[in-house]
Amino acid sequence: MARKFLPYFYILPLLAFIAVFTYIPIATSINLSFREWDFMSATKPFVGLENYQLLLTSTEFWNSVKITAIFAIISVPLRLALALMAASFLTSEKFAPRMLRGAFFLPSVTSTVSIAVVFSWVFSTDYGVANALLKHIGVGKIPWMQDPQLALLVLILVNTWKQIGYDIVIYIAGLQAIPQELYDAAAVDGGRRFHVFRRVTMPLVMPTTYFLLVISVIEAFQVFTIVNVMTHGGPASATDMLVNMLYRVGFTLFDIGTGSALAVLLFILLIALSLIKSRVIGRKVHYEA
Amino acid sequence: MKLENPVQSLFALLFGLLFLSPALYSIWLSFQTADAYYAGGLEFTVDNYGRAVGQYHFARYLLNSVIVSGIVTVGGISIATLAAYAFARFRFRGGDLLFGAVVATLMIPSHISLIPNYLTLAKVGLLDSYAGLILPAMASAFATFFLRQYIRGIPRSLDEAAYMDGATSLQVLWRVIVPLSRPAILSMALFIFIGEWNSYIWPLVAIGKDDLYTLQVGLARLYRINPGEGVIDWPLVMAASTISILPVLLGFALVERHLVRGITMGAVK
Repeated sequence: MARKFLPYFYILPLLAFIAVFTYIPIATSINLSFREWDFMSATKPFVGLENYQLLLTSTEFWNSVKITAIFAIISVPLRLALALMAASFLTSEKFAPRMLRGAFFLPSVTSTVSIAVVFSWVFSTDYGVANALLKHIGVGKIPWMQDPQLALLVLILVNTWKQIGYDIVIYIAGLQAIPQELYDAAAVDGGRRFHVFRRVTMPLVMPTTYFLLVISVIEAFQVFTIVNVMTHGGPASATDMLVNMLYRVGFTLFDIGTGSALAVLLFILLIALSLIKSRVIGRKVHYEA
Repeated sequence: MKLENPVQSLFALLFGLLFLSPALYSIWLSFQTADAYYAGGLEFTVDNYGRAVGQYHFARYLLNSVIVSGIVTVGGISIATLAAYAFARFRFRGGDLLFGAVVATLMIPSHISLIPNYLTLAKVGLLDSYAGLILPAMASAFATFFLRQYIRGIPRSLDEAAYMDGATSLQVLWRVIVPLSRPAILSMALFIFIGEWNSYIWPLVAIGKDDLYTLQVGLARLYRINPGEGVIDWPLVMAASTISILPVLLGFALVERHLVRGITMGAVK
């Protein structure tokens, strides 16, 4: 009876692609992470945990972890705070707020490479807009991309500019779900604007905040394009975030074993974060106001 | 403050322009001559676009991006719709488990498959080909998940009426489910298209031949190889950048609502 097998035929193409390009690669990565290989040689000798050991004792790896963590610690709260602030002005469906929402959202669908190139120009030392503007207020040329700390800060700003529209859209959906009666009640009680925000809005958008928090931390650990285009991890490894290191080790040093070990560590970390998202958040963070 | 009176609206408009000013200014710059720009003057030209398209192959990159994103979108949405239909409408052994396996991939960071996929495609000789760009992008778990939820909201009585008329299950999909899911399918198709259009790391590793570069890889390289002698030819780079964002900008103006709805539905349950 063919009908019994029909649904399997319908899902077959999807499952085949997922198996070949997602699930089997996980196994391949784990396998390769225990081996030494350079893409070329005929053999891939088994080296046990050596790649992991090498990685976990290298300053390079911990530098990457540190930089990625700094990136997340600065950029995530920045994004969420700015987004919530903007969203609370933009919940109405009138023309002006919709236009402004569109403006904020535009960069999140624009190519990251273009954005990275445009901001490379904005922050270029000699011909950039940033320094041209600073000149008007009497500040000398700042070597944005040549200074280790400033370069990381620029990447954080660019990432914020690109992603904030998404955060705003999600926050608006969260804010629109808050019943108007709660605001009315707060108004009757004579709540001042800031007070209402703290006592009504903040607690009630908590689930949205946690969702965005985890999503954006996960994203921060996967930042690659802006690093690759704007800094190549430099100056002096100051922006060598984890995926950039993975790309470097795998595709410029051709150290497949170490690259795979790094990919596996990143995988474990991000899966753990995702599980936090679906478990803890589902349970713990509900309206407590 | 709700941004409703004219003064506030004007303020909102200005703020939006200010926010987008780096991008707007880059487009403005793309119409200036490099010589005047570096001399601090202002002189307009469309020559940067001519050079980007001709001398620097951006016509070819544009074509590559259109082909790859187009096929990924059509193929990806078809595969996702077919699977979503099966998961939404049929009860079959292992169905829940398999659906779980599909949804679980949403948690899996794509970078774990970077090296393995490179090896897989090298083994079958598909690096440096359209197929090498297209195949790894064909499965969209998010679209499948989203469309399954949507299809489950369509009354089953409509399917049954069609079956009564002697329709096969594929006819039900094509005549009943697809027309009724059009907004969701459109949202997801856009989602897939934009993702593929903007994708960077995979084309970067999978393609080594200039005539197969996508716009994103071509643009990153143009910026890196630095065609101006000593100084970067910013007006040229900005013309190339504008070419690579234009299709998405135009599309965005048309379908912003659909896109926002799709994204919000995915996030807020």
